[in-house]
Amino acid sequence: MTGRERMLEAFALREPDRVPVWEMAFNEESIIKLGRFFTDDVPPMKFVQQMTPEEKLKLLSTLFTVVRELELDGITAITLLATEPVDDDHVKDGWGRILRVSEEGEATAVGGPVSEPGDLKGLKPYHPQQGDFLMLMAAKGNFGDDIAQVLIQPGPFRVCWSLLGSMEKLLYYYMKNPAFVKDLSRVATDYILEVMDAAFEAGADIIAMDGDLAFSQTTLMSPAQYEEYILPYQKEINEHVHSKGKLIFKHSDGNMWPIMDGIVEAGYDGFHPLQPQCMDIGDFKQRYGDHLCMLGNIDCTYLLPFGSEEEVEQTVKETIAVAAPGGGFIISSSNSIHPGCKPENYIAMVKAARKYGEYPIGS
Amino acid sequence: MKELLQNIKEAVINGDEDNTRRLVEEGLQEDMEPRQILEEAMMPAMEEIGERFSRNEAFIPELIIAAAAMQEGMEVLKPRFSGDDSGSGLVMLGTVAGDIHSIGKNLVRMCMEGAGFDVMDIGEDIKTERFVEEYRANKPDILGLSALLSSTMQLMPEVIEAVKAVDPSALIMVGGAPITQEYADKIGASGYAPNAFEAAHKARELLA
Repeated sequence: MTGRERMLEAFALREPDRVPVWEMAFNEESIIKLGRFFTDDVPPMKFVQQMTPEEKLKLLSTLFTVVRELELDGITAITLLATEPVDDDHVKDGWGRILRVSEEGEATAVGGPVSEPGDLKGLKPYHPQQGDFLMLMAAKGNFGDDIAQVLIQPGPFRVCWSLLGSMEKLLYYYMKNPAFVKDLSRVATDYILEVMDAAFEAGADIIAMDGDLAFSQTTLMSPAQYEEYILPYQKEINEHVHSKGKLIFKHSDGNMWPIMDGIVEAGYDGFHPLQPQCMDIGDFKQRYGDHLCMLGNIDCTYLLPFGSEEEVEQTVKETIAVAAPGGGFIISSSNSIHPGCKPENYIAMVKAARKYGEYPIGS
Repeated sequence: MKELLQNIKEAVINGDEDNTRRLVEEGLQEDMEPRQILEEAMMPAMEEIGERFSRNEAFIPELIIAAAAMQEGMEVLKPRFSGDDSGSGLVMLGTVAGDIHSIGKNLVRMCMEGAGFDVMDIGEDIKTERFVEEYRANKPDILGLSALLSSTMQLMPEVIEAVKAVDPSALIMVGGAPITQEYADKIGASGYAPNAFEAAHKARELLA
């Protein structure tokens, strides 16, 4: 089986030849540290916004080397919206969002073009450009159909709050101005639908719908608020994706139990990352394993940063034993390979997945 | 008087900013003590939201609008506090260097204000030297450190050590997704809470 076939088989909730291994994201530092295991030709250690175009290309080719050497079954691309610098720490994108850049993770919107409901009328929607999909096109060009092409796209909740420049502001309007939230969600959803079409054109097989809806204790919003302000838009996006013959899964950190029925109702094909601190994968498989492919679950908060390679191997073995039988499981970290994760531990995770992930499990 | 306090409490719980302001002004016109309005109406309102939160009857949107109403009322009350009335105390909050996440810290700020603290939020991605400078300059009763990532939480011991070098009796609380009580104990923090409401309780406990 190719990596792509393996991933698609897992999404079809069937057993492939072995448990697919894939990762949602690697930070610059993680790519460079992992890349050094396989090549000397890596870019200097700095974060992407500070890199020259040549260094950015080298970073991408280092990522490809890591994916190839570790024989991952899929690769994840992000959209690269053009930005212009505002100051040392901030850039502005085509929507007019001010993003704060960070060496520890992705850039976060701290200012938006819509600061209050009255601004929505004058908002000029941004339309996806071909250049936004350069990473996806490069991955497709490099790996073709050998491995699954996954594209991360923020979902309607995240696009809405980024347009306001603050999640708190959006949640405030949930209570104060429902009509405005729905109008804003319409703008966000129309944009996302355009992104989907362009992404499929550029070669995406699977969409990772990003945007946390929960924290470690519970969901950010009540189940009723989720059903009113998010679910209908997710459903519309998912139906569109399926009409194109493609797949989509929901990513959210945190304790998503209160709205998991809604995630199924929205029509997602999978759920990531099943943070082990608050989502037990055995329970999840029992309750939702017939509806959703499970992705993730190997702890990147403590285990991958501070654990030993032996502990990583043991956790992978136990997780596969619980999650993989019958199919519908793709192994990855419980969020991403961030700079705190030891590269040796990530490699140990991949190797253990190969060692224990052959179907039938436990044979 | 009791009815008015009850109405202020209801207005805060419902996140009704206009009514909170109007009713607090009404209370002051009726010669109520500002501290009585705060302690018998507004702080209990935030307590109530906290209890609903722990029962999954209220979520972050309800907290945010209640905090906005609380803030509206405080704008009216604050100028009326006498100079020597320091309230529950001063809490300084910041997210450690390398970490740009703000929402957890902002929720703690809302709950601390709801518990009657003066809060000084020095922002995100704060270097250790800046924590020390701000601590020296403002002498907060409690310093709160936030981190969302297991990579950035590793800077917390450095901040604690540096601030304690300046003031060995400094009270320093830590919080954020990867933090546990065990980690807080290990790095010598004075307090930890798993969520924003409990952080406010812990702060009051530390200063009791």
